[in-house]
Amino acid sequence: MKLNTSKFLERRSTVAAAVAVTLVSTSLISTLGNAASAATKPLSIGVSLSLTGDFADSGTAAQKGYKLWVSDVNKKGGILGRQVSIKIVNDASSPDQVVTNYTNLITQSKVDIVMGPFSSLLTIPASRVAKRYGYSFIEPAGGGPKVFAEKNPNLFFVQPAATTKGGDVFADYILSLPASSRPKTAAYVKLDDPFAAPLADNIKARFEAAGIKTVYDQTYPSETADMTPVISGVAAKAPDVLVGGTQTADAFAQVKAMIQLKFNPKWLFLSNGASSPLEFPKAIGLKNTEGVFTSSDWYPKSTAPGTAAFIKAYIAMYGGTAALIDSTSAEAYSAGTLLELVAKKTGKIDNATIIKTLHTGSWPTLVGNLSWNAYGEPQGAYLLTQWIGGSLKTVFPTASAQHAPVAPKPAWVG
Amino acid sequence: MHSVVQALILGSLTGGVYALMASGQTLIFGIMKVINLAQGAFVIVASYLTFSLFQMTGLDPFLLIVITTPIMFILGAATQWFLLRPLRPDDAAELSLLVTFAVALGLEGALSIVYKTTLRSIMPGYENHSWTVWGYQVNEVRFYAFLLSIAMLGILYLLLQKTKFGRSVRATVQNPMSAQLLGVNSKAVSAFGFGLGVSTTAAAGAVFGLITPFNPGSHYDLISRLLTIVVLGGMGAIGGSVIAALIMGVGAALVSALSAPIWADFTFFIVLLLVLLLRPRGLFGAKVRGAL
Amino acid sequence: MSKAGIIRATSFFGILALLPLGVKPQWVINLLIFTLMYAALASSWNLIGGYAGYPSLGHAAFFGFGAYFIGIIFENNVGNGYNPFFILPLVGICAAIISIPIGFIAMKTRKDVFAIVTITLLFMVQTLAYNLRDLTGGAQGKGVAVPPFDPATFGRPYYYVMLILLLTAMSISFYFRRSKIGLSLAAVRADEDKAHGVGIQVTAVKIIAFALSVAIAAMVGGVWGYYEGFIYPQFAVDPLITIGMVLMTFLGGRATLWGPVLGAFILVPAQQYFSYEFGATQFYLLAYAAIFLIIMLVLPRGILPTLTDRIRLRAKIAAEANK
Repeated sequence: MKLNTSKFLERRSTVAAAVAVTLVSTSLISTLGNAASAATKPLSIGVSLSLTGDFADSGTAAQKGYKLWVSDVNKKGGILGRQVSIKIVNDASSPDQVVTNYTNLITQSKVDIVMGPFSSLLTIPASRVAKRYGYSFIEPAGGGPKVFAEKNPNLFFVQPAATTKGGDVFADYILSLPASSRPKTAAYVKLDDPFAAPLADNIKARFEAAGIKTVYDQTYPSETADMTPVISGVAAKAPDVLVGGTQTADAFAQVKAMIQLKFNPKWLFLSNGASSPLEFPKAIGLKNTEGVFTSSDWYPKSTAPGTAAFIKAYIAMYGGTAALIDSTSAEAYSAGTLLELVAKKTGKIDNATIIKTLHTGSWPTLVGNLSWNAYGEPQGAYLLTQWIGGSLKTVFPTASAQHAPVAPKPAWVG
Repeated sequence: MHSVVQALILGSLTGGVYALMASGQTLIFGIMKVINLAQGAFVIVASYLTFSLFQMTGLDPFLLIVITTPIMFILGAATQWFLLRPLRPDDAAELSLLVTFAVALGLEGALSIVYKTTLRSIMPGYENHSWTVWGYQVNEVRFYAFLLSIAMLGILYLLLQKTKFGRSVRATVQNPMSAQLLGVNSKAVSAFGFGLGVSTTAAAGAVFGLITPFNPGSHYDLISRLLTIVVLGGMGAIGGSVIAALIMGVGAALVSALSAPIWADFTFFIVLLLVLLLRPRGLFGAKVRGAL
Repeated sequence: MSKAGIIRATSFFGILALLPLGVKPQWVINLLIFTLMYAALASSWNLIGGYAGYPSLGHAAFFGFGAYFIGIIFENNVGNGYNPFFILPLVGICAAIISIPIGFIAMKTRKDVFAIVTITLLFMVQTLAYNLRDLTGGAQGKGVAVPPFDPATFGRPYYYVMLILLLTAMSISFYFRRSKIGLSLAAVRADEDKAHGVGIQVTAVKIIAFALSVAIAAMVGGVWGYYEGFIYPQFAVDPLITIGMVLMTFLGGRATLWGPVLGAFILVPAQQYFSYEFGATQFYLLAYAAIFLIIMLVLPRGILPTLTDRIRLRAKIAAEANK
């Protein structure tokens, strides 16, 4: 197919050249334009969130938390007298876009500080870009083992402990029971994902060491919409305790399958999904939530200092009720709080100071008193919560319990 | 033994649900050789429609199928008329893949604007009820869905075999040119057929919304399953797609319940490839025009 | 090659080769890396999807294969730096070898069924990436070595390797257009049975085109994995990557030399820029779908062939008028 319209072709190569020249010149202009002085400028923060795509709900919740914090801190006069501005961009749940966004935030928009993305799967690629340019990386979402295996000293995960340790508190509770009333057999039903499956595996290791027999242990892929065959396999083994390493939809599907198969274990722990005060009752019906265990860092009935003010400000800004606030919003808000605290303590706010300062001491936030190891893994623990009387209540450790644990689990309502 | 039988029951009931979705897909392929990548998205649209209507009226979701079916029919016929009909015939097969994929994306986008991505469930109160039969659990909703898909297939069969429209469709499938010469309006037949294929998603969507939590992105999980059912069944053979759906449902349930759920879909894909190798027209596709 | 063609190709690759020397901001380089990546992917897809008319939806499987190949060899900090780039030819060769039996089986089917078979292949490879945990890290993902490149020019090596891969894909494409293989493929695309009937080695040319096509896709995947730094199954073997290649090829023009490149240079910067600047609105998906539909309905053959036809038509009218 030989083309004989050479005039047209010449024009096309001219167009190509013109495009290239424009690209070069716009980038030069933007480099020159950014050379202004920085001392009195507002403190600019950049965040990339998944506002569309698979992770959009959590992304939107994180956006609300970040924006609420910015509004609160500016009302108090900003950080060290500098107003805070936040640039939130969308990565559409895409790993390419998250690299582009953090590269753009740092080298094009030249923000002062970047904070972590949501979803958690995008955390590692994003943290690598931030580290490359010497930026601190306070992130509220990615807490899997591989995040900390990156050995990135700039990273700080804003939750009480590594996500995969979310079930340890359930193991603590079960093993605190007298041997005679402990479960004898256990089943582990795990979503194949970086957080859910290792979380259940941690519980399994503790249970097996204590002599609780494993009668079922399977992983299922994330696109499993119908959990009934899997749960029928579990029900056949009739375990005393079922540990679900779950994320969201699969937690709901597991519950629905248990109801349909009339299978009601004495203890039911679901790692994630069941901890959502908003979605869990919506998806399975409020009455069916009774007695389900989960673990939480922040939830509307939390007793962490600042919770009341946070809820009040949240409702003033977005409306609704306390019960509708997602923990992700509190986690994002806490990420901002850390910046405030660093500035208050040191009188400075720059990346090197943030990294150096956060590595010592303990930092009170909505999600608890945080402190980290060298690679950003928080050293605290989650709280064990249980659905009792239609809402989540802390049941363990006993010191912070709002209610005694309810066991065995009441029957499904249907 | 108990678990095997229980898995068989669960698998056939789930297979019935997929048969309902795939029958429309197969009809569309049979009539106009279009692989409708938006079929899963249409199912989700129907789930949301049922969800909203149920919240507004409180009527039973199965009753609402009467209202949602014509809506889905119109949506389908409009898609064919405005987006697929204008394609040039020589590359319509390739382009229709992309156009229907774009439709799926567009529907997903529209649904995420209206409903956000929160997972929803249709909860009339009996959605999780099961009958206990000789110690086995038979889920009510899935059982009704199973009956519904048999009824739906019966209606499709009668429509294709006994009506004037059916004769025009069959004539168009066998030879579009001569059908046109004999006075069949093949454009209208195509639009009507596409609408009919999509209208089956009304029932499928109601059932899907009852048995699983869904959000606008759920169609990605449906579409790969629907496609493989259609191919396995033998492109365009409705009866074949029902059997293929049952094979998939039972196979996946057995693998999930008795061994490792992570290999359930993989097993099915292997079956699909083997069938394509040994019997390249699918299980029942011998008579369909030029599928392979 | 015509004189205009030589000028065009030289100026295109010349400007792109010199660009990183003058343009310092890493965000521009980053944007161009992804643009070149998709240009190379679309050009490689064009070899089988465009010239042969076999719309593969499974290319992302090979893209992921390449990413894992590099990820597994250069896990953590074993032999990083430029070494992964030198392994790329091996990645390509392995992908090509694997693709021969796959292509042989899959291309027994035609067009639409081929599309389904290849997308099935994609899902199977994704399942393997999830389930072969010891090898791939499964859902936990696989970390690739952190390269010791200077942050100020970090993207430069990736940029040049992507450019070389694009050049390779386009050279093969150019060769196809001038050689017997290209003619055979065009015959296959027009009517395979007839092509077979007149004695064309149908199976052989199809497999050659498929193998070359996926080899490039795998090499691009390898560079992507190294650049991204961390590989998850759902991102490395992602149907959206395939859809991207297909869409860009259709936009620019199938079975043309420059069409896929043009498609990538329009869509990738637009997508990344819009997502960065305006992505916070929920209308992103709707807009994407709308652009998609407009392309299919208004420019069903792509920008280049449509424009060429218009110009030819105008020239013809002018010639008629001059008579």
